[in-house]
Amino acid sequence: MGKGDREKSARDRIKEQQAADRKREQRRRIITYTTAGVVAVAALGAGILWNMNRSKSEEAGANLAPITVVADAGVTMGNAGVSKPVIDIYEDFQCPACKELERVSGSTFKNLAAEGKAKVVYHPITIFSEEPTRGNSIRAGAAARCVKDGKQWMAFHDTLFEKQPSETVEGFKIDQLVGWGKDVGVTAPDFEQCVTKQQHAAVQQSYSDKVNKEQNLTGTPTVKLNGVEMDNEVLFRPSELREAVLNAAK
Amino acid sequence: MAASSSSRNVRSAIPWVTTVARLVLGVVLIVAGGLKIGNPSDSVVAVKAYQLLPESLATIVGYALPIVEIIIGILLVIGLMTRVVAVVGALLMLAFVFGIAWAWAKGYKIDCGCFGGGGELKKGQEPTYLLDILRDFGLVVLGVWAARFPPGRFALDGALGLHTVDDKEND
Repeated sequence: MGKGDREKSARDRIKEQQAADRKREQRRRIITYTTAGVVAVAALGAGILWNMNRSKSEEAGANLAPITVVADAGVTMGNAGVSKPVIDIYEDFQCPACKELERVSGSTFKNLAAEGKAKVVYHPITIFSEEPTRGNSIRAGAAARCVKDGKQWMAFHDTLFEKQPSETVEGFKIDQLVGWGKDVGVTAPDFEQCVTKQQHAAVQQSYSDKVNKEQNLTGTPTVKLNGVEMDNEVLFRPSELREAVLNAAK
Repeated sequence: MAASSSSRNVRSAIPWVTTVARLVLGVVLIVAGGLKIGNPSDSVVAVKAYQLLPESLATIVGYALPIVEIIIGILLVIGLMTRVVAVVGALLMLAFVFGIAWAWAKGYKIDCGCFGGGGELKKGQEPTYLLDILRDFGLVVLGVWAARFPPGRFALDGALGLHTVDDKEND
């Protein structure tokens, strides 16, 4: 073996060594990167599930507590003899956050009342002052006041939130309101006329103004537990909402 | 000589700029996500207010958004998987730019819901679309920068040797 050959093979060995090092280094990098990626995606998935789970709605019970509608006041839902704790719900049929509250926690309010754990009072009010939202809200609120039967009122109330129009268009039109009332089984013969003539539009407005002032509302939805405003963090987490109400009953 | 030394200065400044870009975009995302997470309903309502997505999808996005923001933000701040994460962050901000522009074009009077809030304006409040768009677009630029020149100083990628190859390619 000549001198040149020896040198060459030494160079080759070094080169091979370097190539092997590079390969090992690259493999390590890929493993590290993949691990970090998997951990990040797992954290993302777990976080999203956790966040959705916190706002998971309760299964609605089969029965509702008895509901009493008073034309120029709130609508009371509760078993006979249950007078506290009182949950006052101030909501506007046109307000998106109220729709969200009903979607997330509506079943909890109903269940608590049905279980005799609370008396729930709904106050459908109008908080908007500009069109088209004000008109939408007044029409819907006035129409709801035309429903005198408790069960039908609740079904109509739920439907209104479900069908809530965008805040940017005219909605809750008279014929829609009449149609939805019939869909949910409103049977009162004067219902259609009451809605069409918007017989309770003035009451809807005056009641809203009165409640707004008396209760110092800053917006809707506002929910008060025994007169104390509840935190949104609790309101929109059904399990915490239930716990807060049960604690108040103690 | 003077020219080459100043160009070396510029080159040595690039990683620092990346670090700043990562930190600014990352912290903004963490704060935005953190403010939303305390009140999950707000981000759901805000996403719906844009009327861009069908209702059920908007609900999922509303719950997912704060988590996505926080995790992307954390990864940017620690500088892990910088390039990929910066691309995702930039796309996220681009989506916000698009969303706000959409609301503006459609004439919706909404709050962007960027830092919590349910997308509803308080009485007498006017939307600040242009400001929101400019801010978010600036954040897009930061994300693009971090994706182009990863990982910057003080990055986990650097410590873990995850970017050495890229650095050589860039040089």
